[in-house]
Amino acid sequence: MIITLLLLPVAVALVCLLLNRYTKLVETASVLGAGLLLLLGSVLVLHVFEEGIIDEGMWYLDQLGAFMLLIIVLIGFLAILYSVPYMRHEHESGEVSSNMLGLYYTFLFLFIFTMVLVVVSNNLGIVWIAVEGTTLVSAFLVGFYNKGTSLEAAWKYLIICSIGISLALLGTIFVYASSIDVLGENSDLHWTSLMAVAGQLDPAFLKIGFVLVLIGYGTKVGLAPMHTWLPDAHSQAPSPVSALLSGVLLNCAMYAVLRYHILMTHSSIGGAFSSGLLLLFGLLSLGIAAAFIITQKDYKRLLAYSSIEHMGIIAIGFGFGGFWGIFGALLHMFNHSMTKALLFFGAGNVLQKYKTKSIDGVRGLSRTMPVTSILLLMGALAITGSPPFSVFTSEIMVLTGGIDQGNILPALLYAGMIVIIFAAFMGHVVRMIFGDPPEGMEKGEVNKAGLIPMIALVVIILVMGIFIPDGLSDALRDIVALFGGQV
Amino acid sequence: MLNSLSLDAINTLAAIILLTDFMLVASSRMRSLTRIFAIQSLALGALAAVVAFETGAEHIYIVAVLSIVLKAVIIPRFINYATTKIQVKREVEPLVKIPGSLLICAAITLLAYFVTEPLMQQGTAITSNCLAISFASVLIGMFLMVSRRKAITEVIGLLVVENGVFLAAISTTYSMPMIVELGVFFDVLVGVIIMGLFAFRINRTFDSIDASILRGLKD
Amino acid sequence: MLLAMIQTLFLLALAPLFTGLIRKFKAFFQGRQGPSVLQPYRDLTKLFHKDSVISKDASWLFTATPYICMTAVITAALMIPFFTTSSINFIGDIIVVVYLFGMMRFFMALAGLDAGSAFGGMGSSREMTISAMVEPTILLSIFTMALISGTTRLGEISFNLATTGLDLVPPALFLALAAFFISTLAENARVPVDNPATHLELTMIHEAMILEHSGKQLALMEWSSMTKLLLYLVIMANTFLPWGIATEVTPMALIIGIFAVILKITLFSLAIAIIESSMAKMRLFRLPNLLTVSFSLSLLAVMSFYIL
Repeated sequence: MIITLLLLPVAVALVCLLLNRYTKLVETASVLGAGLLLLLGSVLVLHVFEEGIIDEGMWYLDQLGAFMLLIIVLIGFLAILYSVPYMRHEHESGEVSSNMLGLYYTFLFLFIFTMVLVVVSNNLGIVWIAVEGTTLVSAFLVGFYNKGTSLEAAWKYLIICSIGISLALLGTIFVYASSIDVLGENSDLHWTSLMAVAGQLDPAFLKIGFVLVLIGYGTKVGLAPMHTWLPDAHSQAPSPVSALLSGVLLNCAMYAVLRYHILMTHSSIGGAFSSGLLLLFGLLSLGIAAAFIITQKDYKRLLAYSSIEHMGIIAIGFGFGGFWGIFGALLHMFNHSMTKALLFFGAGNVLQKYKTKSIDGVRGLSRTMPVTSILLLMGALAITGSPPFSVFTSEIMVLTGGIDQGNILPALLYAGMIVIIFAAFMGHVVRMIFGDPPEGMEKGEVNKAGLIPMIALVVIILVMGIFIPDGLSDALRDIVALFGGQV
Repeated sequence: MLNSLSLDAINTLAAIILLTDFMLVASSRMRSLTRIFAIQSLALGALAAVVAFETGAEHIYIVAVLSIVLKAVIIPRFINYATTKIQVKREVEPLVKIPGSLLICAAITLLAYFVTEPLMQQGTAITSNCLAISFASVLIGMFLMVSRRKAITEVIGLLVVENGVFLAAISTTYSMPMIVELGVFFDVLVGVIIMGLFAFRINRTFDSIDASILRGLKD
Repeated sequence: MLLAMIQTLFLLALAPLFTGLIRKFKAFFQGRQGPSVLQPYRDLTKLFHKDSVISKDASWLFTATPYICMTAVITAALMIPFFTTSSINFIGDIIVVVYLFGMMRFFMALAGLDAGSAFGGMGSSREMTISAMVEPTILLSIFTMALISGTTRLGEISFNLATTGLDLVPPALFLALAAFFISTLAENARVPVDNPATHLELTMIHEAMILEHSGKQLALMEWSSMTKLLLYLVIMANTFLPWGIATEVTPMALIIGIFAVILKITLFSLAIAIIESSMAKMRLFRLPNLLTVSFSLSLLAVMSFYIL
């Protein structure tokens, strides 16, 4: 089953490549493929949530992996739904040629394939290869438009993430080295094997290995101070790609870090070391994001820095530890993905209408694109943590976790910075939505079909804000148990 | 347990790897960069072969051969090809002058030695003292990426980092599972090709691959 | 003690021969016959018969310098093992040797300034720039050898290394040798650092400093420079690659020792000649690159001794 799940996006990518010239066929194939992926993924996820872990040796899907898989296939499907009208419009306005359009979908599915590979692998080495794969494939997507700024963003992305990945490889090797004493020549770098002997792993190698992995994979998560590629890459990519990058890829990278974090909590070193580091990087990311959000002039970069903020919050949640911290952080991974995707889709609409990325250049959205502006406003309120949206729930949980564990000062810093970001972010968005539109701007939505995935997302974040379905909640509790936290 | 001749060979090869790190920093011409990198990869492959000989693990031989073929032949050829295609100027343009760079690299090597000292106490693997050199290679590779202007030198710096990681793998764990090693090699190859592609595109758009021109995106 | 004095006399006598040998090798590579190997002797004899002309502005320093240089060189020669390992030995004598050479360089630079001509000052400043980078390299290289053999007496370093087998040689030795070789080229005014045959203002360094000397003083300066080159070569031959040196004072060992060291020095001379014929002199501002490379090599040598 898992192999089918892996082969499906590759197959669709191949189909898109072969049918390159027939745009309509490519689009249909993509939507169908994404739908199938969603279906297959959901079946697997439900299976794991209800009946337990799937362990096929090299492929391993436990509740944590299944949870990530859910995010990948859901956002993947919605992003492709949004891509079709969006890229069609780009094609019509001459930004993108027909060849490039076909290639877009090919790379998109390859990208999804690599991300699925990250979460279903048992072998930590394959996880590394998959994460490197995501960088290589998404570099093409980031540099999709052949403009100078896109190329610059893609190059920075490639170089900085490759450095990070090399450090992560060194970390992986050290973790492997910590296991050869115990497992001998048979040590196969499988996460399950390592977990079984976690208490006996060599602490010196494990410690340095974790630090390297945190810095290395943390570069891909966008934790400060390794975040410098993120604003460029996420703002220069086409909007549906930005949604995938922000909403899914960052989470996958975080997933990789978490696997090692769980290993650490069960090892002889205990969880305090790794949690402390996570907390440190999280607070740093939150702080830097706050600083740059206040002075931001480009709305896509604004969203990118918001991603850094939320990844910081997730790291802080895991850093706080305990039931509420971990539960909140996990839930936040889901909520942030949904909300950020919504915002990037909205930003895509705005970009296609106003043709500028600058905040000052966009005015009077409520008059020119009423539906988009409402959805954007809701998204902005959501991402900054207002009730009744889901992000509020998870942020409060993280805060509870902090106070619960006695980390009062970090919790206060965390709360304070979120408030600052709320004010700054909303200030920017409100300026864009209200006011008088520029001269000569026609009224009317640009991308009507693209509104459907956006509305779906709003429904999800509203519903999740009010209550969390039992199935999901139970699954999350199981994941918390993985971390060794009390349930 | 260990043949002292093998130990000597490993130590000499590791010294050559460190030496080539310094030569990379000291060179002022693009052509010599790829040549020196090829020598380094050759030494690395030879080291892997000696380790394979010592431990009797067959699959490390394959890894050694792969390493030599890929990193000492294919990738340098590819980078030279890309350099001629882009018609890059022959000189490496350093942001930090060569004497200063060399002194910084010496400091880096000392730092690497101090960082890996607690790990060297473990001594279970053949040559845990190669660990210091591998760390130094990683850090020097990163320094190379940061202190040279051309985009192609950034790629070479990245490859040096990879070499350092590979050396660390050989010296602490003998080798990783075969499939992982293959995957890593494949990744490195694809990565280099993709970076070459991008360098070409950058040159087409900006008419230069001076990475300090890439400053358009700022806050 | 007697042996040391004999070695010193040998060194002084042979110095011009090896300078001539290097010139002969160079001529061979350049496809010409070149002057005879004994030509430097004839040059020195000629200079000893001439009068000196001294500038009005020169002080006592100017006339004293040639004698100081000669003394320094002779003292150093007493401490360097030539064909046996028993020279005058005391703790830390490698540092004394290095600083005797330093003293010689110091006085040469001052003498260059003393005569009051522009060329002299220029040569002196360039020389001091180069030596600032070369001196640490020489010290580190020799320290590496001291570390490897566990003692700081030159004679004992030679002895210890000569009696250990070839396979116990650490790679640090070769790094230190490479660094020292580059320093030899720099200290003795050889291409690519300085051209010993030039008198062009743009390219002189060593020649500029001795430009104002004439007659007997010039003879002494030339002779001490030639001896200095020979001493550097001897240090390389007997400290870094001492196999063949006489470790005991028996006639057989002495003969082998003389033969071995002459062979090694000839090979080094050949190497210098090849380098001089195949490379161009480097421009002054590129010298820091080369010299820092040699410094890094010597630093690496020390580090690799500890790390490996």
